[in-house]
Amino acid sequence: MNKGFFPKLAAGNIRRNGKAYIPYLISCIMTVALFYIMVSLSMNPGLADMVGDNTLKSMMSLGSVIIAVFAFIFLFYTNSFLVKRRRKEFGVFHVLGMEKRHLSKVMAWESLYVALIGLTGGLLVGIALDKVMFLVISNIIGAEISLGFFLSGTAVGITLLFFASVFFLIFLNCVRQIRTSNPIEMIRAGSAGEKEPKTKWLLAVLGLCSLGAGYYIALTVKSPLTSIFLFFLAVLLVIIGTYLLFTAGSIALLKLLRKNKRYYYKTRHFTSVSGMIYRMKQNAVGLANICVLSTAVLIMVSSTTSLMLGMEDTIRVRYPNDFVIYADEQSEARSEESFAQIRALQKEKHLHVTKETQYPYLSFGAFLNGDTFEPPQYASLGSIDRVQTLMFVSLEDYNRIMGTDKTLNEGEILLYSSRQPFQHPTLNVLGREYTVKETLEGFIGNGLLAAVAADSQCVVVRDQAEIDLLYGLQKKALGDSASERQYYYGFDTDAGEEEQRVFYREALDLYAQNKYQGTMESKADSRSAFIGLYGGFFFIGVFLGALFIMATVLIIYFKQISEGYDDKQRFEIMQKVGMSRQEVKSSIRSQVLTVFFLPLIVAGIHVTVALPLICRLLALMNLTNTGLYIACTGVCFLVFTVMYVLIYLLTARTYYRIVSR
Amino acid sequence: MVLLEAKCLEKIYTTRFGGNQVRALSNVSFSVEQGEYVAIMGESGSGKTTLLNILAALDKPTAGEVLLDSRSLSTVKEREISAFRRDNLGFVFQDFNLLDTFNLKDNIFLPLVLAGKSYKEMSRRLQPIAKKLGISELLEKYPYEVSGGQKQRAAVARALITNPKLVLADEPTGALDSRSTDDLLRIFHEVNQDGQTILMVTHSVKAASHAGRVLFIKDGEVFHQIYRGNNSNEQLYQKISDTLTLLATGGDRHE
Repeated sequence: MNKGFFPKLAAGNIRRNGKAYIPYLISCIMTVALFYIMVSLSMNPGLADMVGDNTLKSMMSLGSVIIAVFAFIFLFYTNSFLVKRRRKEFGVFHVLGMEKRHLSKVMAWESLYVALIGLTGGLLVGIALDKVMFLVISNIIGAEISLGFFLSGTAVGITLLFFASVFFLIFLNCVRQIRTSNPIEMIRAGSAGEKEPKTKWLLAVLGLCSLGAGYYIALTVKSPLTSIFLFFLAVLLVIIGTYLLFTAGSIALLKLLRKNKRYYYKTRHFTSVSGMIYRMKQNAVGLANICVLSTAVLIMVSSTTSLMLGMEDTIRVRYPNDFVIYADEQSEARSEESFAQIRALQKEKHLHVTKETQYPYLSFGAFLNGDTFEPPQYASLGSIDRVQTLMFVSLEDYNRIMGTDKTLNEGEILLYSSRQPFQHPTLNVLGREYTVKETLEGFIGNGLLAAVAADSQCVVVRDQAEIDLLYGLQKKALGDSASERQYYYGFDTDAGEEEQRVFYREALDLYAQNKYQGTMESKADSRSAFIGLYGGFFFIGVFLGALFIMATVLIIYFKQISEGYDDKQRFEIMQKVGMSRQEVKSSIRSQVLTVFFLPLIVAGIHVTVALPLICRLLALMNLTNTGLYIACTGVCFLVFTVMYVLIYLLTARTYYRIVSR
Repeated sequence: MVLLEAKCLEKIYTTRFGGNQVRALSNVSFSVEQGEYVAIMGESGSGKTTLLNILAALDKPTAGEVLLDSRSLSTVKEREISAFRRDNLGFVFQDFNLLDTFNLKDNIFLPLVLAGKSYKEMSRRLQPIAKKLGISELLEKYPYEVSGGQKQRAAVARALITNPKLVLADEPTGALDSRSTDDLLRIFHEVNQDGQTILMVTHSVKAASHAGRVLFIKDGEVFHQIYRGNNSNEQLYQKISDTLTLLATGGDRHE
């Protein structure tokens, strides 16, 4: 055989099998593009400018890994159907005198073409989409976001390497399939039809357990600090569970239904149940993909949207006053002196102050054990989820600032919990025991406390003497690592944002010149940083959301279309056997509807179960408005459903046209 | 009693742009008695399949009408036509038309399930038929697991299970080897002996030689017919062959 024979034959094969190959190629291109975008985004230098860039980067890397796993399973699976369909063709080649190694050669060329088309197409689409999405979304947000378009050589390299190996593995699998079958089997294979899938009870039960475990974690996790790790664990378990349930679980369920003769032998259920068994065999992985992607989209978009919308709330918690100084001085006198300097600066610059808040407080970290807070050195590692911040103020200060007139007896306290409520009637710390007289609904603002990821308990004690006592005890217990007393001074102004910023710079200079110890924050100055950060989050959420939706749409569309060609024949037979057109249509419609909306429904369940976990994670970023998140999720789900229904209608129309032609 | 009557059937196909007209049937009239076993023969393109489609209410004649049990098919409403076919007619096809997604039992049950029968009723009906057709052991198997002959027997069972007035068979032996053909023809004979009316379209002389009467169609018309009378299968076979030779050589109409 001459040199050009195999390449030409391979090219011809791809052309002739266009109906099967085009959906496969498009799947390849979209998967490559998706992977590239994810990887390049995780390497975007703009990420480094975002606060919490490390977390973000590791999350993006995790995302890339998940997409890689998706891509691998999905392409392998899609390809195996392609090869099965073509077994008859291989059989004919074989009978006509091609040896298995010749067939392998043809397959090698075909795989090469597919890999070339998939990789170049995928990278081009990926880069183009990347660019377009950056433009569109930054236009929509209208704000300066810290991420920009970025063409990453490393990302291209990783993508090329990864997919080249995926395609190579797929090729090896094809060769294996050719090697292990004999030609007569292959010739028959085309007409043999799809074999009934086996019931894999073990996998189904495993899927159920995995999903259950994931749900359990999501529903029971308490502390925000541990939930970042548990979040990933839960995500992993739920993904595994979803895959197993879609593949093994669905078939096990359908077969159970089929065993129930009363249910099965009803006009409505008969054709649907048996049809679904085969449909699930072919589509399970695709559907699981769609389900997981949709869940990701929903969670990502709704959480980033609620962060964006709840930004003002968050800023209010984080910055209780327009300007805040947390003085960290050794003596009260020196901090008073620093505050006086600031007040003098206000006068000098004619900054109009509308409200002032000033109070001393003591704050340190401790491990909660029952109702007792232990100093850090007694706690073991691994008890990180029990670490909490304690903050003490005197009753006098509390009443003055909050405008209340609460009273306390000896040994009594008022308590406010920032995230997790404190559930004991008494509170022990450093050998002192207090009775909780009342839990408070609100507390004096303190931004530093809000910035800490750990839960905090804000304690109002009877008088300043009690705080001094605690300070001494704490000093004794912790030695050098003990906290100093702190002094809060915050004030609001009605000056413009620019004026505030100028003042902020001057105040900072003043502070630095006099070598005062402490932290100074300006709400106006921080707001722009917040917008940049949350805008970035929002951007990533919307960007990946839109991308995933596109991938979902394409996967569904081409799956349905390629299935239409298979269903056409069954449709005809059923009509010949005496099913009316209407009956056939409704049977097919119910199956298509199930295939379409099953992933969406399961995604809905996933998102609902994830609510408590996500709320806790958002609480880490000081978004405690659960109602806002639920509303965002609801709206996102609704919008997603509407888009999904539109895709369904479009697909269904094309599908019926194919089937009833 | 006359079960099926075709009166002056005419079918003209018009090509898509209204250009050429093709006359598939020009003037076909015949009747089938209750309990008869009739074979219709003819070369490819003689209009056999068109005739069968019209008898099966899958197609409408341009002129003329078909009466089944003295009811004209044209009076059956469009909405009822599927149910009508299901209740009155049984079909056996050349390529079996079994659904891959069902095992043989469920394939056979399909028309009954569509008619809304209970599972008990269906099993009761299946037992004797499966036994007669020798597929009792195969019922749980899937179409791709059994041979062509077995598939066709399952298809026959599917046609018979509704107790149809008339079984229409379109080249039922066309895809079978000779042994399976013999089996199937024996089954048709037995079913017919039990009183089932069968109308079979075929171009296999062997298949036709098992029928009680053979109609020949040529150029869209009933050209000739042979009654079995007291002839054995072999004698009928000979007569059919002779007639076909005559048809092929363009002999004049006689008898």
